[in-house]
Amino acid sequence: MNKLTKAGLAGLFLSLTAVLASCGSSSEMSSDTVAVTADVFPVTVGDLTLDAQPTSIISLSPTATEMLYAIGAGPQVVAVDEYSNYPAEAAALGTPLSGFEPNIEAISGYSPDLVIISYDPGSLVEQLSTLNIPVFVAGAAMSIENVYEQIEQLGVLTGNSQKAIEVSQTLQAGIEEAVASVQFSDPPLSYYYELDNTYYSVTSNTFIGQIFNLFGMRNIADNVESGNDYPQLSAEVIVSADPDFIFLADTKCCAQDATTVAARDGWGGLKALSANQIVELDDDVASRWGPRVLELITTIRDAVVSANS
Amino acid sequence: MNRNRTWFVFGGVLLLLAMIVGTMIGPAGPTWWRIPLEFLNRLPFVQIDSGVSQQDWNIVWLIRTPRVVLAAIVGSMLSISGASYQGVFRNPLVDPYLLGVAAGAGLGATLVFAFQRGATENWIVDPLPLAAFIGALVAVLITYVVGTAFGATQSTTTLILAGVAVTSLATSIQAFILQRNTDVVRQVYSWILGRLSSATWGDVRLVLPYVLLSTGVLLMHRRLLDVLRVGDDEASALGINVRRVRLIVVLAATLGTSAVVAVSGLIGFVGIIVPHAVRLLAGASYRMVLPLSVLLGAAFLVFADIPSRVLANPAETPIGVVTAFFGAPFFLYLLRTRNTST
Amino acid sequence: MTALGFCDVRVSYDGTEAVQSFNDLLHSGEWLCLIGPNGAGKSSVLRAAAGLVPYSGSIAIDQKEIPATSVRWRAQHIAYVPQSPQIPLDMSVFDYVLLGRNPYVRHFAWESKHDRDVVGGVLDRLDLATFARRPLGTLSGGEVQRLVIARALAQEAPVLLLDEPTSALDIGHQQQALELVDSLRREQGLTIVSAMHDLTLAGMYADRLVLMHQGARVAEGTAKEVLQPTVLSEFYGVSARVHHEDDGTVVVIPQRTSAR
Repeated sequence: MNKLTKAGLAGLFLSLTAVLASCGSSSEMSSDTVAVTADVFPVTVGDLTLDAQPTSIISLSPTATEMLYAIGAGPQVVAVDEYSNYPAEAAALGTPLSGFEPNIEAISGYSPDLVIISYDPGSLVEQLSTLNIPVFVAGAAMSIENVYEQIEQLGVLTGNSQKAIEVSQTLQAGIEEAVASVQFSDPPLSYYYELDNTYYSVTSNTFIGQIFNLFGMRNIADNVESGNDYPQLSAEVIVSADPDFIFLADTKCCAQDATTVAARDGWGGLKALSANQIVELDDDVASRWGPRVLELITTIRDAVVSANS
Repeated sequence: MNRNRTWFVFGGVLLLLAMIVGTMIGPAGPTWWRIPLEFLNRLPFVQIDSGVSQQDWNIVWLIRTPRVVLAAIVGSMLSISGASYQGVFRNPLVDPYLLGVAAGAGLGATLVFAFQRGATENWIVDPLPLAAFIGALVAVLITYVVGTAFGATQSTTTLILAGVAVTSLATSIQAFILQRNTDVVRQVYSWILGRLSSATWGDVRLVLPYVLLSTGVLLMHRRLLDVLRVGDDEASALGINVRRVRLIVVLAATLGTSAVVAVSGLIGFVGIIVPHAVRLLAGASYRMVLPLSVLLGAAFLVFADIPSRVLANPAETPIGVVTAFFGAPFFLYLLRTRNTST
Repeated sequence: MTALGFCDVRVSYDGTEAVQSFNDLLHSGEWLCLIGPNGAGKSSVLRAAAGLVPYSGSIAIDQKEIPATSVRWRAQHIAYVPQSPQIPLDMSVFDYVLLGRNPYVRHFAWESKHDRDVVGGVLDRLDLATFARRPLGTLSGGEVQRLVIARALAQEAPVLLLDEPTSALDIGHQQQALELVDSLRREQGLTIVSAMHDLTLAGMYADRLVLMHQGARVAEGTAKEVLQPTVLSEFYGVSARVHHEDDGTVVVIPQRTSAR
């Protein structure tokens, strides 16, 4: 047998082995859309290299938790933080770790082979490194592209890149479809996005703001306080701007809804009220950047479409 | 003198006990009684099979032990610093944060959190402890300049009031910055409450030189603090340069306190409770109060850190909460006994 | 030999002159008492000598001017007994008197056996030896007064400054304290400057009196010379009789100005 044949047989043998090895992790072999081989370990994402597929993952980021379960890595997760309440399987783990005041001993007590955090409250990465526990920082997304990227990165790290790419592409398609179905208004529709009942808002520089930009909407909080992307607006500013839409992201934390807004002194005359354009959002969905961001986008799309009609 | 030696032995034993117990208790890791065995095993020429795995040992040695050691260092520094401040200001309610250390450090930390989102840990030098340290020193410097600039009288009251003013100023600037950067409020708040949970051997190495220097200088001054007990005038007539002694003691105490605040945040009550407890036990002479505060302060914080890491397992209870829990009732008790005695 | 000399000593507080050009020379063993109404400047002279307030001019001990920079030298040569001493209630008697040895103890060092022996000796001399271990808070006013003098003695300084040493004492303790100071003066050749309100007592114990008024020396001399009704009336505004005892003691008796 000549060298070429040998190489070819070796290659076939290797990929077969790889396929067999990864059969346990990926749920299905998709042969159409993207040509990607089944996961081969070790993998490297950024400066993190994992030698084997992780089977006891700890997530201290609610968003990362949602992503993990969406890409099929749920069975590999052994513990999540106290705020990881979605999906139900994550909440059912009953492991209230803290992402803000992490108890490093408790974390290591689960013998994790991958820990995912969204920010380091102080020395956490360093401490985990001294214990040789791999840690991946999936920081807050700055853009929609970040979201796709993180989903795919988690896919690679957990050995579910096939599913991850699918999830990412479905998400992308969904978003594009939602955006396309909306006609930009001229003048653009204005909105006020409420973070809490003391009128903290976001500018269009933030992740949320960029979502609204997709629909060509104008944020009344822009240019209110330069340099601050999370300004606290005053009631006067909001009322005088008289936004077309009011999006409430404080329905859970601060029990706000359309009726409470209507009851606020001086807010009675807002057009958002009379046109029924106060949109109540789920706090969690609005503050995370996982696959459920599609829910957020569809909600916004629905609101805009019904306004246009 | 024998009684004094007894107290030192007591303090030393208590500290040793605290550290041993501290390393044995935690939310994870090997069973508690295996740990001392493994410590012995790690000594050269000693071989004991303790049944502790390498991973478990890593938890004890790399995570828990630096935490216990840092608790001891921070506890002793805050205690001797508080005792020294009480000595130079002749006021038992004074704590090591008096002249603006707390507010200055808090402001420094807030600035770092607000303007350095993202990877500060990737810098060669972590700016957070540095900023806290500098903030604390600058605040005390301003307090001192303002407090001694007015009039030739060396009134300690003026100095304390200047400290109050600087604290208020720093706190309001901090509030202003936080208001504009609400996404870091949680981080700043948790820093302020104080924590030992992120302690590493690097932190220990960082603070040790400052603490050793500071403690050394303060211990050298303990006889002089006793002389100061009769007031500035009489001490001066007895041959003490009161202003210079006060300056050096304040500087040394501030240096050490700033260093520990930089790595552990603001842990309250230690600097008041421990010196007072020492006075109740061993008398009011600073020759005893200072060195005993070192020993008992270290032991106290090591013990206080234990509930901090197991009480709300697997979450952490900020150690400032634990010390306040013990501190507040003790404070009330102090006030009561003082009122009835005077 | 001049034990203590004041040369053009002036003290000012916030622009007002509290002591104007005070000059005096005392020989070793002499007791000078400053008298005068409140605010005359008596305390200020003492505080200047003790180094507690800044002054212009010079103060010299054994003809050596007190160096402005050495608090230790000053404390070794001048012992100051304040009017209202601060008493740390939980300090022991022995430790309190031991403070008097501070000028001889190196800055960061501890007291020596010699220092402790000196304190023991002083406590014996003042009948306080049995109190050595007791906390100051348990002592009576008279005992505390003896204690403050004891501390000053432990300084082994040739000059003793007493600011109102008897104002807070009852008549018995007043006598005790002054007799004690006098006998120590004779034993050890101490030079004493005191400020006192009680004119009779001042006259009884001091060699010389200096009457001060608004910072200036307005009269000086023996008790007989200074304590005259006209002088007292002019500077104290008091109407008083002066009685001379057979042994030379001058007694000042204030007169009632209204009928009983």
